[in-house]
Amino acid sequence: MYKSWWKILGAVLVVYSTVFGFLSSVPALPILHQSIRNLYFHVPMWFSMIVLFSVSVYHSIKYLSNNNEEHDMKAVQSVNAGVLFGVLGIITGAIWAKFTWGQAWSFDVKQNFAAIALLLYFAYLVLRNAIDEEQKRAKIAAIYNIFAFPMMVVLLFVLPRLSDSLHPGNGGNPGFNAYDLDSHMRMVFYPACLGWILIGYWIYTLLFRVSSLEKNKTA
Amino acid sequence: MKKLITTVLMLMVTMQLFAQDQTSAITDTLAGSEKIYVVAVCAAVILLGLIFFLFSIDGRLKKLEKKS
Amino acid sequence: MQLIKEVKYLIGKEMLLEWRSKYALNGVVLYVVSTVFVCFLSFVSLKGVTWNALFWIIMLFASINAVSKSFLQESKGRQLYIYTIASPLALIISKTIYNIFLMLLLTLIALGFYTLVFDYVPEDMGLYLVATILGSLSFSTIFTMISAIASKAGNGGMLMAILSFPVIIPVITVLIKLSKNAIDGLDRSVSLDEIGILLIINVLVAVFTLMLFPYLWRD
Repeated sequence: MYKSWWKILGAVLVVYSTVFGFLSSVPALPILHQSIRNLYFHVPMWFSMIVLFSVSVYHSIKYLSNNNEEHDMKAVQSVNAGVLFGVLGIITGAIWAKFTWGQAWSFDVKQNFAAIALLLYFAYLVLRNAIDEEQKRAKIAAIYNIFAFPMMVVLLFVLPRLSDSLHPGNGGNPGFNAYDLDSHMRMVFYPACLGWILIGYWIYTLLFRVSSLEKNKTA
Repeated sequence: MKKLITTVLMLMVTMQLFAQDQTSAITDTLAGSEKIYVVAVCAAVILLGLIFFLFSIDGRLKKLEKKS
Repeated sequence: MQLIKEVKYLIGKEMLLEWRSKYALNGVVLYVVSTVFVCFLSFVSLKGVTWNALFWIIMLFASINAVSKSFLQESKGRQLYIYTIASPLALIISKTIYNIFLMLLLTLIALGFYTLVFDYVPEDMGLYLVATILGSLSFSTIFTMISAIASKAGNGGMLMAILSFPVIIPVITVLIKLSKNAIDGLDRSVSLDEIGILLIINVLVAVFTLMLFPYLWRD
């Protein structure tokens, strides 16, 4: 957590993907045109959100097994960081949708379910605020977090495959792999995902460190 | 470098477009130039999100400094 | 074997308590019937998609009311008593089974009254019945666990709604799709996917409930 090589790696990857996201060549597509470049900005948000939520579940499980307060704090802070990325993902998605599908909220399954998945984690944060006693709060929140995680997986990965979606790869739309994610785009897309995941993890560690400092000061 | 500067300029242009609140104009212009501005706006939103995060951390650190 | 004995005993106790007061069942049935009647007075005639959506909305609120009683209404003293005589696994299994029976009874009454009042029968009534049975099954498994969490958090009804809605929405979307297939009278093989998903969600929820409840129960 305190080493800096992966932070530098994340920063380099994000800078690389931003610069080449604007400059590299993209295949000519109808409707999307150049906005296909949003793939390097919008999609990595979701990847880092999912990674952060998984980190949170990991720490919740750890908390239940050894009752160490540090794990509880890690679980909350990674949810906070994940929510930040989720909101960014929703906003960029809405902007992109406005100019390609015509409406900011196009009643697309993935859009709806992503919003619901965020609601799930807002509920988690509300639950934490509702309980005053610290140990009890940590325990109950960890239980809800673990209980909600499989539901989020079902929401984001299973249900969209069942119905039609405007997103690529669902309901008859060909996936990105089929034609548009050519080798040029892969060269930028994968580093972008990795870079943003690292940046997300970095944000989470910063949040965790600040809040543990706050805790030491008040205690 | 030149291209970077043009990117920044493009960003500023879109900001100005937001200033005149005529949605149809924004829609037309943002969708113009093969929709590259859409990407620029999204990148700007992400940057704003990160800056928001910086401010929140800043505020919390300020409180800590006052206490110590 | 000890477990099965305890479960049987607890279900018996639950039924006995219910039989003595008849409060939960009568109250909820009255709630459903009057909601259906209010809907009838305001819509007068309904068909197809709206009929279906309204039914599930009524069932959603009725089941939150019915199932949340299971933990929220238990007094501290009674909880302590149960704690001394039974294992947490037996407790959650018995509560879930009892709630499944309660919900099955409730949904069947509601469906009967609903079709009677609106004088509309789906094309494929058999499949619609399967959908309602699966629906009451998943409502009761999910809400039992969530009401346990909410009661431990000590902040009743409000938290129950906030915590349960994001978790139940995926189930509701699948249920509405399944029952819409029944209303349109599509071939039953089309709906197998949805039935499979619902069963998988139920199994997932059951497994996670059994794993997590012991942590929640011990203080």
